[in-house]
Amino acid sequence: MNTSTSTTWASKKPGRSPGERLVEAILFATSLVSVLTTAAVIVVLFSETFQFFLRIPLTEFLFAPEWTPLFAEPRYGIGALLAGTFLFTAIGLVIAIPLGLLTAAYLAEYAPHEQSIRVKGIMELLEGVPTVVFGYFALLFLTPILQNLIPGLNLFNPISAGLVLGFAILPYISNVASDAMMAVPRSLREAAYALGATKFEVVTKVVFPAAVSGIVAAIILATSRAVGETMIAAIAAGQRPILTLDPRETIATMTSYIVQAATGDQPAGSLASRALFSVGATLFLLTLGFNILAQRIVERYRERYE
Amino acid sequence: MQRGLIQDSSQNPQKQQRDRINRVFARAVVVPTVIALALIAVLLLDTLYDTVSVQVVEVTETSGKSFALGQALTADQVIRLELAAQGKSEEEIAAFMSDPDEMRIFRLRNRVELMWATQDGPMRWVVSSLDDIRIKNLSLIEGLRQWNELKQGLKENQQLRLNPWLDYSFLTRDPSRNPISAGLRVALFGTIWLLTMTLLISIPIGVGTAIYLEEYAPKNRLTRFIEVNLRNLAGVPSIVFGLLGLAVFVRGMQLGPTLMAAALTMALLIMPTISIAAREALRSVPDSMRLAAYALGATKWQMISKVVLPATIPGMATGVILAAARAIGEAAPLLMVGAAAYVAFIPRGPFSEYTVLPVQIYLWISANLSEFANTAAAGIVVLLLTLGGLYALAFWVRRKYRVEW
Repeated sequence: MNTSTSTTWASKKPGRSPGERLVEAILFATSLVSVLTTAAVIVVLFSETFQFFLRIPLTEFLFAPEWTPLFAEPRYGIGALLAGTFLFTAIGLVIAIPLGLLTAAYLAEYAPHEQSIRVKGIMELLEGVPTVVFGYFALLFLTPILQNLIPGLNLFNPISAGLVLGFAILPYISNVASDAMMAVPRSLREAAYALGATKFEVVTKVVFPAAVSGIVAAIILATSRAVGETMIAAIAAGQRPILTLDPRETIATMTSYIVQAATGDQPAGSLASRALFSVGATLFLLTLGFNILAQRIVERYRERYE
Repeated sequence: MQRGLIQDSSQNPQKQQRDRINRVFARAVVVPTVIALALIAVLLLDTLYDTVSVQVVEVTETSGKSFALGQALTADQVIRLELAAQGKSEEEIAAFMSDPDEMRIFRLRNRVELMWATQDGPMRWVVSSLDDIRIKNLSLIEGLRQWNELKQGLKENQQLRLNPWLDYSFLTRDPSRNPISAGLRVALFGTIWLLTMTLLISIPIGVGTAIYLEEYAPKNRLTRFIEVNLRNLAGVPSIVFGLLGLAVFVRGMQLGPTLMAAALTMALLIMPTISIAAREALRSVPDSMRLAAYALGATKWQMISKVVLPATIPGMATGVILAAARAIGEAAPLLMVGAAAYVAFIPRGPFSEYTVLPVQIYLWISANLSEFANTAAAGIVVLLLTLGGLYALAFWVRRKYRVEW
């Protein structure tokens, strides 16, 4: 309402001065920076990736068992990096989904106002910890403990990295999911109470199903964050891209490979450098897909209750 | 009504079961919060614990004297005393101390530090040569347990120290390949430089975007496209921004691994965050303010710049501080645009090489696990304190300047 009135008001004003028009043009230009950024990301990633595929066949990219562009006999199997990313993300989600949903249930259904503010504060603390700190914690605190518990666990492994990742993405799940739960109309809850349901039954059988699309969106969003998470993976999960699903092994995620490749100088235009951008393009497409999917689901869910 | 249910349940085993599940669940929902708190606490304690260690150090060059703290000495006075102890005259010392180059060399070769204990008493200044050979570096509890044993075994020129890695000199020392002499100075200056430049670039763009979208943009497809795009940009992994910066700024614009390339990259990264916060601040200004300005004959830009923007400053400031906090903790994109190199000097301008706190910490962690673990921990404490300060500032601004319409 406020923008539309003022806009029509301004546009009806006769004879706007050149100065005014200049200001508007400048502001419009700043808003195009974000569009240009996206365009630049796409152009950069995909032109390099295109060059990469001129040299390396797609079948090699999809089916080779290893990702070793710097070896004497390079292999370019993205599957090795995808497997590592999958392991790392899956372990993170195993932690973050149940804990995040419990927190969301607490925030939306149980906590009195003041306590919910406090819990949100704790989650913000967790969110504010830089991931390089989480990486340090995983490698130097958690891994030695886990190595005593799990025989054959490598120093760099997706288990401790994933566990810590779970806490890094927990706030995203609890925030989005609690918003979704709070949006469920009160009448639904009260109807259930009237039928004699306990609070547990109201939460699990009424609120949860009614908010399920928002909760799914929260999980997808968190997955996207986890896939793109870099420092924890680079520090604690290792940098050995091999196609394996054994969580005790050292792995490499897409992000940790990018870090590894970028910190070891590679000349622009070399095949290794292009391989780096092809991994970036895969990561970008994957996270973009997740984000769009989550937005679609949230939008559909909004329609149901407004 | 619920009380009625509970009374019923005492007679019905099925309802008893349901109530029990209900009670268990009511307790279970606080479990994640407890775990999160415990995790934060353990993380902090573990890092703090790692910032103090017990060392056996061999002193090779300096006088080996230590200076009791009770006399309220500063580090500079300690250097003066150390030079005197090495047999320099007053004039020589004065000339030495006023020459920045000589002082730099002294600081590079020696370390003036506050020791909690040496073998001849607690809390002392010690000047030690950087050629120290670290014979042993033990974790706090292990070291204290062996304290007496280690003290017995000390040879000539050896000292047993309880060494806080995080002291004032840690902040003022340059990076080094020797953990004992490694410090944060370059990273601190790099962080300040980078943050300032990033904000100078991203605030005008972010706020400009917000003003355009809130105050000017017609409701059409282009506007909607910009909005969707902004939201998607906020979800792009930070490392992808790093790849963008590497290709466009470092290689394309030939900026190389400089502060400028990094600041441009980080500005694009935090721009959506600033923009979203600024839009919320703009939206909270009531329409009546705008109409009142128009009624007085203001033009649109006069209305925005003299009425709306001043009213949004607290909201925008909070958003900018939070974005700054994010930028300070961010390491991944900077690794791509060249912050990972070994940099021995503080930046002299926008086209200098640089390093920043989280990157320095990452380098220490990945350099060598046991050697730099203590410096990494000390760096993390500094980083977390900085972030804590920023969050506190944001909280304070939000409280103090909150406007009720």
